[in-house]
Amino acid sequence: MISSLQENLEATFKGVKVTAPEDGRMSVSVPSDSIPVVLRYLKGNGLDHMALLSCVDWIEDGKFELVYFLTCYMPNNTDYAADQKLHVLVRTQVPRDNPGIESVIGVFENIEPYEREIHELYGVHFKGHPRLTHLLLERDYEVPPFRKDFDTRQYVEETFGSIPPVDE
Amino acid sequence: MDRNQITKWLKSPGKMAHKYSLHAVYFCTGCGIIEIPPVITARWDAERFGVIPVATPRQGNLFMITGYVSVKTLKAIIRTYEQMPDPKYTVAFGSCPINGGMYWDSYNTIKHLDKYIPVDGWIAGCMPRPEAVFVGVTHLWTLIDKEMANGYIRYKKKYAAYRSNQEMALGELDWPPLYPIEDETEEESK
Repeated sequence: MISSLQENLEATFKGVKVTAPEDGRMSVSVPSDSIPVVLRYLKGNGLDHMALLSCVDWIEDGKFELVYFLTCYMPNNTDYAADQKLHVLVRTQVPRDNPGIESVIGVFENIEPYEREIHELYGVHFKGHPRLTHLLLERDYEVPPFRKDFDTRQYVEETFGSIPPVDE
Repeated sequence: MDRNQITKWLKSPGKMAHKYSLHAVYFCTGCGIIEIPPVITARWDAERFGVIPVATPRQGNLFMITGYVSVKTLKAIIRTYEQMPDPKYTVAFGSCPINGGMYWDSYNTIKHLDKYIPVDGWIAGCMPRPEAVFVGVTHLWTLIDKEMANGYIRYKKKYAAYRSNQEMALGELDWPPLYPIEDETEEESK
């Protein structure tokens, strides 16, 4: 399953690089504009569980790397073999200044809170997302707090350190 | 009942009754709440000390803040605290409400809880053992005896300062002030 999927992916999509570091794991590097089609293709090939969306801040390269974690649900039939389990990471890079990417809610509906989370913590804009509002945080930050250039200590000093103690 | 305390009971029965019936608001914050189930159940049995958890803040008089306080939780803490009837006692549990603890440079947790609500007792540790809770409770008894556990009185007296700190941390508050603020400033100016 892994080797055929690897060949099919590289043959079907332009600019897709597939590596399989160990059994049952696959890493797919994709250009950012073909993320929805690649995810739709993988979903059609049995990887029907979008487990997680993560983001890495490569500040030296000026890139954000978005990582989509895909696995498959256990099928109910008995033909399913343990060695067919597959864990796929789909990686893509978006530029760090004014980052944006197509939302994949149309493919995996459950990615909605993950995209909101990445939006508020890294400031990545997901085009076509119905409500990019705050998920966990309550306040607006000038620099989104999970970016590497967000100075936590200075922020804490300015926000919480400036509040005076109540004298008794 | 301890015979030595009969004079105390006769002198100030209300205070003694408050002291030995601490109703803890079951408010879960952070990781410290994992210590509370063993404290209140059979293993350590907090009811020996008169501490029993209650369901709503309207029935409670002991408020334990059991861990780091995020900005969002602070809002819930203030609203819960303001709903509790007097007299009420606040105990900060663990090092995070004291000075931020391991979240001292986090972007979204408040560092000093006593800037926003009055705190009567502190239990240090990360996490404190259940025994530390009982040591804290017995210290709280002493404080109640000496009328030093007066956080709710301080809150009323310094409400303007507390409210302004709360607004600095949370922005515009969407509930009205608990006590009138105008009178407070007039008194101070006099």
